Amino acid sequence: VDCSLYSPGQLNTFFSKKTFVRCVMVSTYTSLVLFFIPWAAMQDSVRGDGKDVADYQSFALSTQTSLMIVVSAQMFLDTFYWTAINQFFLWGSIAAYLAITFTFFSNGLFFVFTSSFPFIGTARNSLKQPNVWLTMFLTCLLCVLPTVAFRFLHINFLEKIRKFTRFQKYKAREEGQPAPAPYRPPPRRVSTRRSSYAFSHSQGYGDLVTSRKFLRLKRRPSLFGRNQSPLVENQPQHYRTITEEAEESQT
Amino acid sequence: MMASSYNAKEEDGHHSGSSTHGGTGAPKNKKPDNTAFKQQRLPAWQPILTAGTVLPAFFVIGLIFIPIGIGLYVTSNNIKEYEVDYTGVEPNSPCYDCANSFTWNSTTPCVCTVNFTLTQPFESNVYMYYGLSNFYQNHRRYVKSRDDSQLNGVQSSLTNPSKECKPYLTNPETKLPIAPCGAIANSLFNDTLELYYSQPDGNTSKVTLVKRGIAWYTDKNVKFRNPGNDKDNLTERFKGTAKPVNWLKPVYELDPSDPENNGFINEDFIVWMRTAALPTFRKLYRIIQKKPDSTPTLASGKYVLKITYNYPVRSFDGRKRMILSTISWMGGKNPFLGIAYITVGSICFFLGVVLLIIHQKYDTRSNSADIPN
Repeated sequence: VDCSLYSPGQLNTFFSKKTFVRCVMVSTYTSLVLFFIPWAAMQDSVRGDGKDVADYQSFALSTQTSLMIVVSAQMFLDTFYWTAINQFFLWGSIAAYLAITFTFFSNGLFFVFTSSFPFIGTARNSLKQPNVWLTMFLTCLLCVLPTVAFRFLHINFLEKIRKFTRFQKYKAREEGQPAPAPYRPPPRRVSTRRSSYAFSHSQGYGDLVTSRKFLRLKRRPSLFGRNQSPLVENQPQHYRTITEEAEESQT
Repeated sequence: MMASSYNAKEEDGHHSGSSTHGGTGAPKNKKPDNTAFKQQRLPAWQPILTAGTVLPAFFVIGLIFIPIGIGLYVTSNNIKEYEVDYTGVEPNSPCYDCANSFTWNSTTPCVCTVNFTLTQPFESNVYMYYGLSNFYQNHRRYVKSRDDSQLNGVQSSLTNPSKECKPYLTNPETKLPIAPCGAIANSLFNDTLELYYSQPDGNTSKVTLVKRGIAWYTDKNVKFRNPGNDKDNLTERFKGTAKPVNWLKPVYELDPSDPENNGFINEDFIVWMRTAALPTFRKLYRIIQKKPDSTPTLASGKYVLKITYNYPVRSFDGRKRMILSTISWMGGKNPFLGIAYITVGSICFFLGVVLLIIHQKYDTRSNSADIPN
């Protein structure tokens, strides 16, 4: 049985306030970078042949492409097991995005649905410019690097810090000194509403079952008393004599 | 309980099987096929962020970004640019009178001249831009106020433009449809800029300004087409339409000397219709071609800019300016990208060094911190 599916619930990793605040901070930072880096790079910029590239459609395209790449990079970091299916869908999404972009910005669709596809020519004209690609590369890297750095620190150094504190405890015990405060996981809030899914969020009944407490019979006041129950006593049953009225109905 | 429900299902399958096959068919096997895909046994790769991959990555990124940033910054610094603001806000500026005496139905154009000096010669092709400030071409209602079918030469849209162009859809007096309709076309930039070089001997020579080749190829050849067929002249093709409300001339008189640059395919018009993303923008106006001999395109010295002041910007606190600029492979003068790359590269390198120090420190400490069993 793979117990790793229960650990997010046990450690309350997904729906805690701390996670929410962290998520909001990361999203705000990413949104600001995704807009302001292309904005600053596009101020008064032109193409390599002098023509415009600071127009509304090119700006939208470069921001949108950076966003796609950043989202794909985040998925790349979050996927634990890379099977052929994962590879296909991740690279496939980027390829599909580029294919759809070039299709939407092509001549053919413009002639058929003129008012719906006004971005004609934008992809061909702006994605040929090296400064557009450099802007997008910078944006994507600025969005992804903090996540990578934090995860690297978390994965590699949390273990080492824990090992180090355990070593300190061991050394303290050896030298007879009081051990430093042990690492306690944050206390879990016990919810009164339980479902079979929420079962994994709390300790469960394992302790109760293994302690065999439930097998011990407690002395509790019973309604009928031990003398009356036929199961407890092994004495023969005493039957009452049936009265005359019932005798007539019997025959 | 689980077992009994499974049995019931199997029985059902058995019964249905027996009813169709007459009792000879075996019960259908519900178990998925024993392939790697269906049993979730596909070969997988697990990326792990170890010190061996992340630390070199940080260093490599730092080492790549810093040279790119330096290259971009040096390229941007080598671009020469000169800007002349000719709005006419201050009383002592040359265009102050033109700016204040503007009326919508003036027949005589107001001309003002600005003198400036170039301290350095400009080599290779020089591009002349007009720049506007505080002009929100990216306002949503403004951006939508156009009819791309009409601009593509579709006859039905010429006489019946889209409703998005309101209130610039039909002429209020004659009720004729406006070609080109919409707010973007109506606000076409119509100042005329001319450049003269004052030679040291006192004569002034006009600098040749090329007005073709300033719009995108796809815009000029695909997106914008004149209506009608090529046999008729343009006045015929635009019959039954009115000029935009704030234009001085109708659209078929934008450049009568060149039929390839007249009507909807006029390049100044196309450049204006490509709406800018930011409120301070510049648009290509003319190109000054480089001279066939090795003399600089614009020699250093005194220049005179003659402006036909037609475009009012004072009402919304806008500014107008003319920019002369050389171009490199990365476009115009924009030091931001170079500085950003250098900054990010150095931060990455510094972060890599810090992580390396932390990694080394905890590695030696934790290696000596092994608890004996």
